Amino acid sequence: MSKQSIFEKMWNRKGLRAEVRAANALALKQWQVEFAYPLSVLWFIFMPFLWFIPSLIAGTVIAGGTESSHLAGLAGTTDWLTFIAIGSAYTGLAVSLIWGTGFALRREQNVGTLETLMTTPMRRDTLVWGSTLHNIQHGGLGVILQLGVSIILFGVSLDLWGVLPALGIIGLSIIGMQGLVFAVVCIVLLAKQAWMVVEFLSSILFLVAPMTYPIAVLPPILQYISFGSPLTWSVEGFRGFLMGSLTGPALLYTVGALIIIDIAFILIGTLMFRKAEKYVRARGALSQF
Amino acid sequence: MTELIQETQEGVTHETSEYLESFKPRSMDWTAAKTFAVKNLRIALRYPANLLVWAILPIFWFAPFILMATAIGGYETTTHFTDISGFDNYIQFIVIGWFVYMYLDTSIWAIGNNFRWEQMSGTLEPLFSTPVPRISILLGAAISDTIQGTIQAIILLGICVGMFGLQYALVAILPTIIILTMMVIALYGFSFMLAGLILVFKDPSVLTQMISEMTFVISPVNYPVNALPRSVQFVAYLVPTTIGIVTIREIAINGGVSLLSFSQALLGLGVLIVCFWVIGIAVFKYAEKWTKQRGHMGGF
Repeated sequence: MSKQSIFEKMWNRKGLRAEVRAANALALKQWQVEFAYPLSVLWFIFMPFLWFIPSLIAGTVIAGGTESSHLAGLAGTTDWLTFIAIGSAYTGLAVSLIWGTGFALRREQNVGTLETLMTTPMRRDTLVWGSTLHNIQHGGLGVILQLGVSIILFGVSLDLWGVLPALGIIGLSIIGMQGLVFAVVCIVLLAKQAWMVVEFLSSILFLVAPMTYPIAVLPPILQYISFGSPLTWSVEGFRGFLMGSLTGPALLYTVGALIIIDIAFILIGTLMFRKAEKYVRARGALSQF
Repeated sequence: MTELIQETQEGVTHETSEYLESFKPRSMDWTAAKTFAVKNLRIALRYPANLLVWAILPIFWFAPFILMATAIGGYETTTHFTDISGFDNYIQFIVIGWFVYMYLDTSIWAIGNNFRWEQMSGTLEPLFSTPVPRISILLGAAISDTIQGTIQAIILLGICVGMFGLQYALVAILPTIIILTMMVIALYGFSFMLAGLILVFKDPSVLTQMISEMTFVISPVNYPVNALPRSVQFVAYLVPTTIGIVTIREIAINGGVSLLSFSQALLGLGVLIVCFWVIGIAVFKYAEKWTKQRGHMGGF
């Protein structure tokens, strides 16, 4: 096959399968970059514990044991350790998606490969989906690592029957999270050095999410914001299934709310990304720093 | 015209050679340190929103601990926490922890990474070719970052006092300043060490984050130091902010500390100053030599 025909074939590629292959190639590329730095590998292993340990120590000092009667009144469980271990594990995945994927295009820009990538024959949003795929794998492994060690070392107990439904919740949560990620990408594309805006927004988002505490302890105004965030329903569903407490009407309510928020976030996010990307290219500001 | 230019050039050459002839290497150049500190402060003042944002953001980082404590222990501080820590107000307890911890955060993220910012701006090589000791440049950066860190820490403390209705002993101000000053001097040595590591490793994101997270885990910011395992407690006391947090918390909340405890804190910080400065300068000098020999100074 001549070179000419290879290029022609590349330019003619289209369809979902072609985009999935492109996203997979981007995810693999990111793994190769990360494994080129031994410190990154070390950080990847220790990061989930380093984030969890301060909450574990603080909780132990406050509760004086592994049970909390006050939490039972708020969240229906006395096992605060399992409650915060699952919430923290999900935080790792969410951070990986928001920061890792949100800043993927900025990293490409910094190393001078963004324009090259933009000229490849694939959809622009595949660039973001490729990074999402990598961060799902990266963050997902972190969740498994943290929960596994929490079970072995700290006595965290999970309902094994809830693992599959919890994975289903992760699948649903990724759709809503991708909407958020697109919003972050827009900020990065427009503001370039956008980390401060993203830090602020993500700090608010994580504060109102019930990661290590139930929503009931938040002030009322923050509770309203919390109900509109995909993080809230994702972590509630994920934890509910893994603790075996999500059944009946609560299950329908949580999954239903997550689906509605997913649809809203992914539609708004995709639309924002298309507009922002078009705007930045029209202004010739794609590679500006 | 040509003669005039020639004369001017000769004048400059004469002046330059006179400067170079009279130049003697010094171990410390305070004028350079001051110039560098002023330069960094000028840049910081160009972005006043940065100062405010970094003062407010820590509230979002420690609020989850307060909310978690409320969820687990209720709206009042638990007796278990009081038994272990000796304090009966968790919010009052952690606000002091975060106030002091901001200095450690500054020393890791700002001072340690200073040469990286210079490298990113393309000014590291010209800076290193100036006839001033590197330690003066580092110290200048450290002083400007300390000033910014102090402003942010005071804003944070003020907001928290207003927001949570906290009260701290006013008599604590002078001893707090003494402890903070010694702690900051010890942290400078720690930052020099980090600056050396960043010269070698270049991309500091992972290294800095690892050091930052590890020191955070062992620092008694959200829990008392005796909540840590014994062996970890020893390591915790090697971080200058641990002595700072423990002593300042005691003075600010209880309104005083015994003379013996205060002297012990000063002695401990004195020992840490000597150790960190000796190790920090040695690491930095070795890193600088190592980087120069490989021609990596301006590399990314």
